[in-house]
Amino acid sequence: MAPQPLDRVVEFILSPHIFAPLIYPGLLAAMLVLLTLIWAERKMTAKVQLRYGPLYVLKPLGGIIQLIADAIKFMFQEPILPRKADKWVFVLAPITMMAFTIIPFAFIPAAPGFVGVDLEYSLPLVLSLSALVPPLILATSWAANNKFTLLGGVREAFMMVAYETSLFIAAFAIATYYGTLSLSKIVEAQTVPGIVLNPIAAAIFFVAMLMTASKLPYDIVEGEQEIVAGPFTEYSGILYMLVMGASYMELYVLSLVFVELFLGGWKPVIPALASIHPAFQGIALFIKAYLVLLFAVFLRSVYARYRLDQALEIGWKKLFPLSLISVVWSLILLVITGGA
Amino acid sequence: MAEDVYKPGNLLVSLKRHAAAIATGLRYLLSTKRMTVRYPEFVIDLGEGYRGMIRWHRDRCISCSLCAQICPAAAMKMYKLPGEKKMYPGINYQRCIFCGFCVDVCPVFALEHTPVHDISYEELDEMIYVPTKFDTEWVSPAAKEGARPVKVVFDEEVGLRHEPQ
Repeated sequence: MAPQPLDRVVEFILSPHIFAPLIYPGLLAAMLVLLTLIWAERKMTAKVQLRYGPLYVLKPLGGIIQLIADAIKFMFQEPILPRKADKWVFVLAPITMMAFTIIPFAFIPAAPGFVGVDLEYSLPLVLSLSALVPPLILATSWAANNKFTLLGGVREAFMMVAYETSLFIAAFAIATYYGTLSLSKIVEAQTVPGIVLNPIAAAIFFVAMLMTASKLPYDIVEGEQEIVAGPFTEYSGILYMLVMGASYMELYVLSLVFVELFLGGWKPVIPALASIHPAFQGIALFIKAYLVLLFAVFLRSVYARYRLDQALEIGWKKLFPLSLISVVWSLILLVITGGA
Repeated sequence: MAEDVYKPGNLLVSLKRHAAAIATGLRYLLSTKRMTVRYPEFVIDLGEGYRGMIRWHRDRCISCSLCAQICPAAAMKMYKLPGEKKMYPGINYQRCIFCGFCVDVCPVFALEHTPVHDISYEELDEMIYVPTKFDTEWVSPAAKEGARPVKVVFDEEVGLRHEPQ
Protein backbone atom coordinates (compact mmCIF):
# COMPACT_ATOMS: atom_id res chain seq x y z
CA MET A 1 0.00 0.00 0.00
CA ALA A 2 1.51 3.29 -1.12
CA PRO A 3 1.61 5.97 1.53
CA GLN A 4 -1.04 8.58 0.77
CA PRO A 5 0.88 11.72 1.88
CA LEU A 6 3.83 10.88 -0.38
CA ASP A 7 1.54 10.65 -3.40
CA ARG A 8 0.16 14.04 -2.53
CA VAL A 9 3.65 15.53 -2.31
CA VAL A 10 4.60 14.05 -5.69
CA GLU A 11 1.36 15.28 -7.20
CA PHE A 12 1.98 18.71 -5.69
CA ILE A 13 5.47 18.91 -7.13
CA LEU A 14 4.37 17.70 -10.55
CA SER A 15 1.53 20.22 -10.78
CA PRO A 16 2.31 23.08 -13.18
CA HIS A 17 2.25 25.70 -10.40
CA ILE A 18 5.28 24.14 -8.77
CA PHE A 19 6.86 22.20 -11.63
CA ALA A 20 7.11 25.16 -14.01
CA PRO A 21 8.95 27.63 -11.76
CA LEU A 22 10.95 25.03 -9.87
CA ILE A 23 11.95 22.32 -12.34
CA TYR A 24 11.25 23.14 -15.99
CA PRO A 25 11.63 25.77 -17.40
CA GLY A 26 12.43 27.15 -13.96
CA LEU A 27 15.19 26.78 -11.47
CA LEU A 28 16.51 23.28 -12.12
CA ALA A 29 16.61 23.61 -15.91
CA ALA A 30 18.08 27.09 -15.51
CA MET A 31 20.85 25.74 -13.29
CA LEU A 32 21.57 23.05 -15.87
CA VAL A 33 21.68 25.71 -18.58
CA LEU A 34 23.91 27.90 -16.44
CA LEU A 35 26.38 25.12 -15.69
CA THR A 36 26.66 23.83 -19.24
CA LEU A 37 26.32 27.14 -21.05
CA ILE A 38 29.25 28.87 -19.36
CA TRP A 39 31.34 25.77 -20.03
CA ALA A 40 30.20 25.74 -23.66
CA GLU A 41 30.97 29.43 -23.97
CA ARG A 42 34.50 28.96 -22.70
CA LYS A 43 34.97 25.87 -24.83
CA MET A 44 33.74 27.51 -28.04
CA THR A 45 35.80 30.66 -27.50
CA ALA A 46 38.81 28.45 -26.86
CA LYS A 47 38.18 26.52 -30.06
CA VAL A 48 38.00 29.67 -32.16
CA GLN A 49 41.20 30.93 -30.54
CA LEU A 50 43.00 27.60 -31.21
CA ARG A 51 43.03 26.65 -27.53
CA TYR A 52 41.48 23.81 -25.51
CA GLY A 53 39.47 25.65 -22.86
CA PRO A 54 38.53 23.95 -19.59
CA LEU A 55 39.86 20.41 -19.82
CA TYR A 56 41.18 18.88 -16.65
CA VAL A 57 38.02 18.69 -14.52
CA LEU A 58 36.56 15.36 -15.68
CA LYS A 59 38.90 15.01 -18.64
CA PRO A 60 37.07 12.29 -20.62
CA LEU A 61 34.14 14.69 -21.12
CA GLY A 62 36.32 17.72 -21.85
CA GLY A 63 35.99 19.35 -18.44
CA ILE A 64 32.21 19.63 -18.44
CA ILE A 65 31.94 19.88 -14.66
CA GLN A 66 34.38 22.80 -14.52
CA LEU A 67 31.54 25.07 -13.48
CA ILE A 68 30.62 22.81 -10.57
CA ALA A 69 34.20 23.08 -9.38
CA ASP A 70 34.02 26.85 -9.78
CA ALA A 71 30.71 26.99 -7.93
CA ILE A 72 32.15 25.02 -5.02
CA LYS A 73 35.09 27.41 -4.96
CA PHE A 74 32.76 30.43 -4.86
CA MET A 75 30.62 28.82 -2.16
CA PHE A 76 33.52 28.44 0.23
CA GLN A 77 35.19 31.71 -0.61
CA GLU A 78 34.85 34.50 1.91
CA PRO A 79 32.34 37.09 0.70
CA ILE A 80 34.15 40.31 1.48
CA LEU A 81 32.07 43.32 2.49
CA PRO A 82 33.94 46.55 1.72
CA ARG A 83 34.19 48.77 4.78
CA LYS A 84 32.77 51.82 3.01
CA ALA A 85 29.96 49.95 1.26
CA ASP A 86 26.29 50.36 1.98
CA LYS A 87 26.10 46.87 3.41
CA TRP A 88 22.38 46.17 3.25
CA VAL A 89 22.02 47.20 -0.39
CA PHE A 90 25.32 45.54 -1.25
CA VAL A 91 24.12 42.17 0.02
CA LEU A 92 20.44 42.38 -0.87
CA ALA A 93 20.77 43.72 -4.43
CA PRO A 94 22.34 40.54 -5.94
CA ILE A 95 19.81 38.36 -4.16
CA THR A 96 16.90 40.48 -5.41
CA MET A 97 18.48 40.52 -8.87
CA MET A 98 18.54 36.73 -8.95
CA ALA A 99 14.94 36.65 -7.69
CA PHE A 100 13.75 38.92 -10.49
CA THR A 101 15.37 36.66 -13.05
CA ILE A 102 13.70 33.58 -11.55
CA ILE A 103 10.16 34.96 -11.09
CA PRO A 104 9.46 35.11 -14.89
CA PHE A 105 9.65 31.29 -15.05
CA ALA A 106 6.28 31.16 -13.35
CA PHE A 107 4.73 33.00 -16.30
CA ILE A 108 6.60 31.53 -19.25
CA PRO A 109 4.62 28.67 -20.75
CA ALA A 110 6.86 25.62 -21.15
CA ALA A 111 4.60 23.25 -23.06
CA PRO A 112 1.08 23.35 -24.54
CA GLY A 113 -1.18 24.31 -21.66
CA PHE A 114 1.63 23.96 -19.16
CA VAL A 115 2.40 27.15 -17.31
CA GLY A 116 2.77 28.12 -13.67
CA VAL A 117 0.43 31.07 -13.78
CA ASP A 118 -1.43 31.62 -17.04
CA LEU A 119 -1.97 35.31 -17.63
CA GLU A 120 -3.39 37.32 -20.51
CA TYR A 121 -0.45 39.70 -20.24
CA SER A 122 2.45 37.35 -19.64
CA LEU A 123 4.66 38.90 -22.35
CA PRO A 124 4.81 42.43 -20.87
CA LEU A 125 5.02 40.96 -17.39
CA VAL A 126 8.04 38.80 -18.19
CA LEU A 127 9.76 41.62 -20.04
CA SER A 128 9.13 44.15 -17.28
CA LEU A 129 10.31 41.72 -14.61
CA SER A 130 13.58 41.32 -16.47
CA ALA A 131 13.70 45.11 -16.88
CA LEU A 132 13.81 45.39 -13.07
CA VAL A 133 17.35 44.02 -13.05
CA PRO A 134 19.22 47.08 -14.46
CA PRO A 135 18.07 49.41 -11.62
CA LEU A 136 19.39 46.81 -9.19
CA ILE A 137 22.71 46.82 -11.03
CA LEU A 138 22.73 50.58 -10.49
CA ALA A 139 22.01 49.96 -6.81
CA THR A 140 24.98 47.57 -6.50
CA SER A 141 27.25 50.03 -8.25
CA TRP A 142 26.28 52.82 -5.87
CA ALA A 143 26.34 50.66 -2.77
CA ALA A 144 29.83 49.29 -3.38
CA ASN A 145 31.24 52.83 -3.18
CA ASN A 146 34.11 52.27 -5.57
CA LYS A 147 35.15 54.24 -8.63
CA PHE A 148 35.02 51.25 -10.97
CA THR A 149 31.54 50.24 -9.83
CA LEU A 150 30.40 53.81 -10.23
CA LEU A 151 31.74 54.00 -13.79
CA GLY A 152 30.03 50.69 -14.55
CA GLY A 153 26.81 51.99 -13.03
CA VAL A 154 26.85 55.08 -15.24
CA ARG A 155 27.40 52.89 -18.28
CA GLU A 156 24.50 50.66 -17.22
CA ALA A 157 22.26 53.71 -16.80
CA PHE A 158 23.09 54.84 -20.33
CA MET A 159 22.71 51.37 -21.78
CA MET A 160 19.44 50.40 -20.16
CA VAL A 161 17.41 53.21 -21.68
CA ALA A 162 19.04 52.52 -25.04
CA TYR A 163 18.05 48.88 -25.31
CA GLU A 164 14.92 48.44 -23.18
CA THR A 165 12.76 50.60 -25.45
CA SER A 166 13.79 48.69 -28.57
CA LEU A 167 13.37 45.33 -26.81
CA PHE A 168 9.82 46.17 -25.71
CA ILE A 169 8.79 47.67 -29.06
CA ALA A 170 10.20 44.69 -31.01
CA ALA A 171 8.33 42.25 -28.77
CA PHE A 172 5.11 44.24 -29.09
CA ALA A 173 5.54 44.49 -32.86
CA ILE A 174 5.20 40.73 -33.24
CA ALA A 175 2.50 40.61 -30.55
CA THR A 176 0.56 43.19 -32.56
CA TYR A 177 0.47 40.79 -35.48
CA TYR A 178 -0.83 37.93 -33.32
CA GLY A 179 -3.27 40.23 -31.56
CA THR A 180 -2.49 38.94 -28.09
CA LEU A 181 -0.02 39.60 -25.28
CA SER A 182 -0.24 36.11 -23.82
CA LEU A 183 2.86 34.05 -24.60
CA SER A 184 0.93 30.78 -24.76
CA LYS A 185 -1.59 32.24 -27.21
CA ILE A 186 1.21 33.70 -29.32
CA VAL A 187 2.79 30.25 -29.64
CA GLU A 188 -0.57 28.65 -30.40
CA ALA A 189 -1.27 31.26 -33.10
CA GLN A 190 2.13 30.72 -34.74
CA THR A 191 1.84 28.58 -37.85
CA VAL A 192 4.67 30.34 -39.67
CA PRO A 193 7.57 31.20 -37.33
CA GLY A 194 7.60 34.86 -36.33
CA ILE A 195 11.16 35.29 -37.59
CA VAL A 196 9.89 34.75 -41.15
CA LEU A 197 6.97 37.14 -40.69
CA ASN A 198 8.91 39.92 -39.02
CA PRO A 199 12.69 39.39 -39.34
CA ILE A 200 13.39 43.00 -38.32
CA ALA A 201 11.70 42.56 -34.94
CA ALA A 202 13.52 39.25 -34.43
CA ALA A 203 16.91 40.79 -35.16
CA ILE A 204 16.22 43.73 -32.85
CA PHE A 205 15.00 41.47 -30.07
CA PHE A 206 18.13 39.33 -30.39
CA VAL A 207 20.52 42.30 -30.32
CA ALA A 208 18.65 43.90 -27.41
CA MET A 209 18.78 40.53 -25.65
CA LEU A 210 22.58 40.55 -25.92
CA MET A 211 22.62 44.10 -24.56
CA THR A 212 20.33 43.20 -21.67
CA ALA A 213 22.48 40.30 -20.58
CA SER A 214 25.61 42.38 -21.30
CA LYS A 215 27.15 39.75 -23.52
CA LEU A 216 29.83 40.57 -26.04
CA PRO A 217 29.89 42.72 -28.15
CA TYR A 218 27.84 44.69 -25.61
CA ASP A 219 29.54 43.81 -22.34
CA ILE A 220 30.30 47.50 -21.95
CA VAL A 221 28.94 47.58 -18.40
CA GLU A 222 31.33 44.93 -17.14
CA GLY A 223 34.16 45.86 -19.53
CA GLU A 224 36.77 43.65 -17.92
CA GLN A 225 39.81 45.29 -19.52
CA GLU A 226 38.62 48.79 -18.75
CA ILE A 227 36.78 48.85 -15.42
CA VAL A 228 37.67 45.50 -13.75
CA ALA A 229 34.13 44.09 -13.56
CA GLY A 230 32.02 47.24 -13.66
CA PRO A 231 29.28 47.31 -11.03
CA PHE A 232 30.39 43.89 -9.74
CA THR A 233 33.99 44.80 -8.96
CA GLU A 234 33.68 44.49 -5.19
CA TYR A 235 31.78 41.21 -5.15
CA SER A 236 33.39 37.97 -4.10
CA GLY A 237 32.33 34.52 -3.08
CA ILE A 238 28.70 33.52 -3.29
CA LEU A 239 27.51 37.09 -3.98
CA TYR A 240 29.69 37.23 -7.09
CA MET A 241 28.21 33.91 -8.20
CA LEU A 242 24.75 35.48 -7.89
CA VAL A 243 25.52 38.59 -9.93
CA MET A 244 27.34 36.58 -12.58
CA GLY A 245 24.56 33.98 -12.70
CA ALA A 246 21.86 36.66 -12.92
CA SER A 247 23.03 37.89 -16.33
CA TYR A 248 23.05 34.35 -17.72
CA MET A 249 19.63 33.68 -16.18
CA GLU A 250 18.33 36.84 -17.84
CA LEU A 251 19.74 35.65 -21.13
CA TYR A 252 18.00 32.29 -20.63
CA VAL A 253 14.66 33.93 -19.82
CA LEU A 254 14.88 36.22 -22.83
CA SER A 255 15.94 33.40 -25.15
CA LEU A 256 12.87 31.43 -24.02
CA VAL A 257 10.75 34.48 -24.85
CA PHE A 258 12.63 34.88 -28.16
CA VAL A 259 11.89 31.28 -29.13
CA GLU A 260 8.23 31.65 -28.16
CA LEU A 261 7.85 34.88 -30.10
CA PHE A 262 9.88 34.15 -33.20
CA LEU A 263 10.83 30.49 -33.51
CA GLY A 264 7.53 28.73 -32.95
CA GLY A 265 7.94 27.90 -29.25
CA TRP A 266 7.35 24.24 -28.41
CA LYS A 267 6.28 23.31 -31.93
CA PRO A 268 6.61 20.66 -33.28
CA VAL A 269 4.94 18.84 -30.37
CA ILE A 270 5.59 15.14 -29.88
CA PRO A 271 2.33 13.88 -28.32
CA ALA A 272 3.90 10.59 -27.16
CA LEU A 273 5.93 12.49 -24.57
CA ALA A 274 2.80 13.83 -22.89
CA SER A 275 2.16 10.42 -21.33
CA ILE A 276 5.34 10.76 -19.22
CA HIS A 277 4.63 14.29 -18.08
CA PRO A 278 2.98 17.20 -19.92
CA ALA A 279 6.11 19.31 -19.46
CA PHE A 280 8.06 16.92 -21.70
CA GLN A 281 6.21 18.29 -24.70
CA GLY A 282 8.23 21.45 -24.26
CA ILE A 283 11.47 19.69 -25.18
CA ALA A 284 11.55 21.45 -28.57
CA LEU A 285 11.30 24.80 -26.79
CA PHE A 286 14.22 23.91 -24.56
CA ILE A 287 16.40 22.72 -27.44
CA LYS A 288 15.63 25.81 -29.53
CA ALA A 289 16.29 28.12 -26.57
CA TYR A 290 19.57 26.35 -25.87
CA LEU A 291 20.66 26.74 -29.49
CA VAL A 292 19.80 30.45 -29.35
CA LEU A 293 21.85 30.70 -26.15
CA LEU A 294 24.77 28.89 -27.73
CA PHE A 295 24.70 31.27 -30.68
CA ALA A 296 24.47 34.26 -28.33
CA VAL A 297 27.53 33.23 -26.35
CA PHE A 298 29.38 32.16 -29.50
CA LEU A 299 29.37 35.79 -30.62
CA ARG A 300 31.91 36.45 -27.85
CA SER A 301 34.59 34.89 -30.01
CA VAL A 302 33.59 36.83 -33.14
CA TYR A 303 33.17 40.40 -31.98
CA ALA A 304 35.21 42.94 -30.09
CA ARG A 305 33.51 45.12 -27.53
CA TYR A 306 31.77 48.25 -28.79
CA ARG A 307 32.52 51.55 -27.13
CA LEU A 308 29.74 53.04 -25.03
CA ASP A 309 29.00 55.78 -27.58
CA GLN A 310 28.92 53.25 -30.42
CA ALA A 311 26.48 51.05 -28.51
CA LEU A 312 24.29 54.04 -27.70
CA GLU A 313 24.35 55.02 -31.36
CA ILE A 314 23.30 51.50 -32.31
CA GLY A 315 20.59 51.58 -29.65
CA TRP A 316 19.08 54.97 -30.43
CA LYS A 317 19.91 55.64 -34.09
CA LYS A 318 19.50 52.14 -35.52
CA LEU A 319 17.55 49.79 -33.23
CA PHE A 320 14.93 52.32 -32.14
CA PRO A 321 13.88 53.52 -35.64
CA LEU A 322 14.07 49.94 -36.92
CA SER A 323 11.81 48.76 -34.11
CA LEU A 324 9.25 51.40 -35.12
CA ILE A 325 9.57 50.15 -38.72
CA SER A 326 8.96 46.60 -37.48
CA VAL A 327 5.70 47.76 -35.85
CA VAL A 328 4.62 49.31 -39.15
CA TRP A 329 5.66 46.11 -40.95
CA SER A 330 3.51 44.08 -38.55
CA LEU A 331 0.54 46.36 -39.18
CA ILE A 332 1.01 46.05 -42.96
CA LEU A 333 1.16 42.26 -42.61
CA LEU A 334 -1.92 42.38 -40.45
CA VAL A 335 -3.82 44.30 -43.11
CA ILE A 336 -2.61 42.07 -45.97
CA THR A 337 -3.10 38.65 -44.36
CA GLY A 338 -5.93 39.55 -42.02
CA GLY A 339 -4.11 38.35 -38.89
CA ALA A 340 -2.96 34.98 -37.64
CA MET B 1 44.71 47.32 -50.70
CA ALA B 2 42.35 50.28 -50.90
CA GLU B 3 39.26 48.11 -50.67
CA ASP B 4 40.49 46.60 -47.39
CA VAL B 5 40.13 49.94 -45.60
CA TYR B 6 36.97 50.02 -43.51
CA LYS B 7 34.28 52.34 -44.79
CA PRO B 8 30.99 52.57 -42.95
CA GLY B 9 28.36 51.31 -45.31
CA ASN B 10 24.62 51.22 -45.25
CA LEU B 11 22.63 48.64 -43.30
CA LEU B 12 22.76 45.96 -45.99
CA VAL B 13 26.53 46.31 -46.40
CA SER B 14 27.11 45.99 -42.65
CA LEU B 15 24.73 43.01 -42.52
CA LYS B 16 26.91 41.29 -45.11
CA ARG B 17 30.01 42.08 -43.07
CA HIS B 18 28.47 40.71 -39.88
CA ALA B 19 27.53 37.52 -41.70
CA ALA B 20 31.10 37.20 -43.00
CA ALA B 21 32.51 37.69 -39.48
CA ILE B 22 30.19 35.08 -37.99
CA ALA B 23 31.00 32.67 -40.83
CA THR B 24 34.72 33.07 -40.11
CA GLY B 25 34.06 32.34 -36.44
CA LEU B 26 32.07 29.23 -37.31
CA ARG B 27 34.83 28.04 -39.63
CA TYR B 28 37.32 28.25 -36.78
CA LEU B 29 34.83 26.60 -34.43
CA LEU B 30 34.56 23.59 -36.72
CA SER B 31 38.25 23.29 -37.53
CA THR B 32 40.48 21.03 -35.48
CA LYS B 33 43.50 23.31 -35.31
CA ARG B 34 45.00 23.93 -31.91
CA MET B 35 48.13 25.64 -30.70
CA THR B 36 48.05 24.86 -26.99
CA VAL B 37 50.82 22.87 -25.35
CA ARG B 38 49.07 20.64 -22.83
CA TYR B 39 51.55 21.56 -20.17
CA PRO B 40 51.67 18.90 -17.48
CA GLU B 41 51.85 16.18 -20.12
CA PHE B 42 54.05 18.03 -22.59
CA VAL B 43 56.65 20.66 -21.93
CA ILE B 44 58.40 22.95 -24.40
CA ASP B 45 62.10 22.25 -24.69
CA LEU B 46 63.54 25.69 -24.02
CA GLY B 47 67.10 24.91 -24.96
CA GLU B 48 70.24 26.92 -24.32
CA GLY B 49 70.15 30.55 -23.29
CA TYR B 50 66.78 30.53 -21.51
CA ARG B 51 66.89 32.68 -18.41
CA GLY B 52 65.22 30.41 -15.89
CA MET B 53 66.02 29.60 -12.28
CA ILE B 54 69.65 30.35 -11.34
CA ARG B 55 72.00 27.59 -10.28
CA TRP B 56 74.96 28.39 -8.03
CA HIS B 57 78.07 26.21 -7.83
CA ARG B 58 79.62 26.53 -4.43
CA ASP B 59 82.88 24.85 -5.44
CA ARG B 60 83.52 27.52 -8.10
CA CYS B 61 82.51 30.58 -6.06
CA ILE B 62 85.30 32.92 -4.96
CA SER B 63 83.04 35.10 -2.75
CA CYS B 64 83.74 38.27 -4.73
CA SER B 65 80.16 39.50 -4.05
CA LEU B 66 79.88 41.06 -7.55
CA CYS B 67 76.55 39.31 -8.04
CA ALA B 68 75.10 40.89 -4.92
CA GLN B 69 76.43 44.29 -5.94
CA ILE B 70 75.10 44.24 -9.50
CA CYS B 71 71.65 42.82 -8.71
CA PRO B 72 69.18 45.58 -9.69
CA ALA B 73 66.34 44.07 -7.67
CA ALA B 74 68.41 43.44 -4.52
CA ALA B 75 67.50 39.79 -4.74
CA MET B 76 71.04 38.52 -4.40
CA LYS B 77 72.58 38.90 -0.95
CA MET B 78 75.78 37.66 0.69
CA TYR B 79 75.27 35.32 3.64
CA LYS B 80 77.69 34.35 6.35
CA LEU B 81 77.57 30.64 6.95
CA PRO B 82 78.32 29.30 10.45
CA GLY B 83 81.91 28.11 10.75
CA GLU B 84 83.03 29.77 7.50
CA LYS B 85 85.14 32.89 7.02
CA LYS B 86 83.94 33.64 3.48
CA MET B 87 80.50 34.91 2.60
CA TYR B 88 78.42 33.26 -0.07
CA PRO B 89 75.49 34.49 -2.22
CA GLY B 90 71.90 33.58 -1.57
CA ILE B 91 68.90 34.57 -3.69
CA ASN B 92 65.41 35.74 -2.91
CA TYR B 93 62.99 34.77 -5.70
CA GLN B 94 60.37 37.15 -4.37
CA ARG B 95 62.59 39.87 -5.78
CA CYS B 96 64.50 38.27 -8.66
CA ILE B 97 63.55 39.62 -12.09
CA PHE B 98 65.61 37.05 -14.02
CA CYS B 99 67.66 39.75 -15.73
CA GLY B 100 70.77 37.58 -15.60
CA PHE B 101 73.18 40.32 -14.57
CA CYS B 102 74.60 38.13 -11.80
CA VAL B 103 75.23 35.33 -14.27
CA ASP B 104 76.97 37.71 -16.67
CA VAL B 105 79.08 39.40 -14.05
CA CYS B 106 80.33 36.26 -12.31
CA PRO B 107 84.05 36.02 -13.17
CA VAL B 108 84.32 32.27 -12.49
CA PHE B 109 81.00 31.04 -13.95
CA ALA B 110 79.76 29.99 -10.53
CA LEU B 111 76.23 31.17 -11.45
CA GLU B 112 74.33 29.89 -14.46
CA HIS B 113 70.81 29.94 -15.80
CA THR B 114 68.83 26.73 -16.12
CA PRO B 115 65.79 26.23 -18.38
CA VAL B 116 63.71 25.30 -15.31
CA HIS B 117 60.99 27.88 -14.72
CA ASP B 118 57.92 26.01 -13.47
CA ILE B 119 58.58 25.96 -9.75
CA SER B 120 55.77 26.96 -7.41
CA TYR B 121 55.86 27.83 -3.74
CA GLU B 122 53.27 27.57 -1.03
CA GLU B 123 54.91 30.02 1.32
CA LEU B 124 56.89 33.20 0.73
CA ASP B 125 59.72 32.03 2.96
CA GLU B 126 60.36 29.10 0.66
CA MET B 127 61.38 31.55 -2.04
CA ILE B 128 64.46 32.66 -0.13
CA TYR B 129 67.45 30.51 -1.00
CA VAL B 130 70.31 30.67 1.48
CA PRO B 131 73.68 29.41 0.13
CA THR B 132 73.23 25.89 1.47
CA LYS B 133 69.88 25.59 -0.32
CA PHE B 134 71.10 27.53 -3.37
CA ASP B 135 73.76 24.95 -4.22
CA THR B 136 71.37 22.27 -5.51
CA GLU B 137 70.31 21.12 -8.95
CA TRP B 138 66.97 22.48 -10.21
CA VAL B 139 64.39 19.90 -11.17
CA SER B 140 61.29 20.80 -13.16
CA PRO B 141 58.25 19.21 -11.47
CA ALA B 142 56.60 18.50 -14.83
CA ALA B 143 59.72 16.82 -16.21
CA LYS B 144 60.04 14.84 -12.99
CA GLU B 145 56.55 13.45 -13.48
CA GLY B 146 57.32 12.36 -17.03
CA ALA B 147 56.30 15.29 -19.22
CA ARG B 148 57.39 14.75 -22.80
CA PRO B 149 59.51 17.55 -24.27
CA VAL B 150 58.20 19.10 -27.49
CA LYS B 151 59.78 21.45 -29.98
CA VAL B 152 58.03 24.53 -31.35
CA VAL B 153 57.78 24.59 -35.13
CA PHE B 154 56.33 27.42 -37.19
CA ASP B 155 53.64 26.21 -39.53
CA GLU B 156 51.98 28.04 -42.40
CA GLU B 157 48.64 26.33 -41.76
CA VAL B 158 48.23 26.28 -38.00
CA GLY B 159 50.64 28.96 -36.86
CA LEU B 160 52.57 27.00 -34.25
CA ARG B 161 53.01 23.27 -34.13
CA HIS B 162 54.56 21.25 -31.32
CA GLU B 163 56.54 18.22 -32.38
CA PRO B 164 57.59 15.58 -29.86
CA GLN B 165 61.31 15.07 -29.73
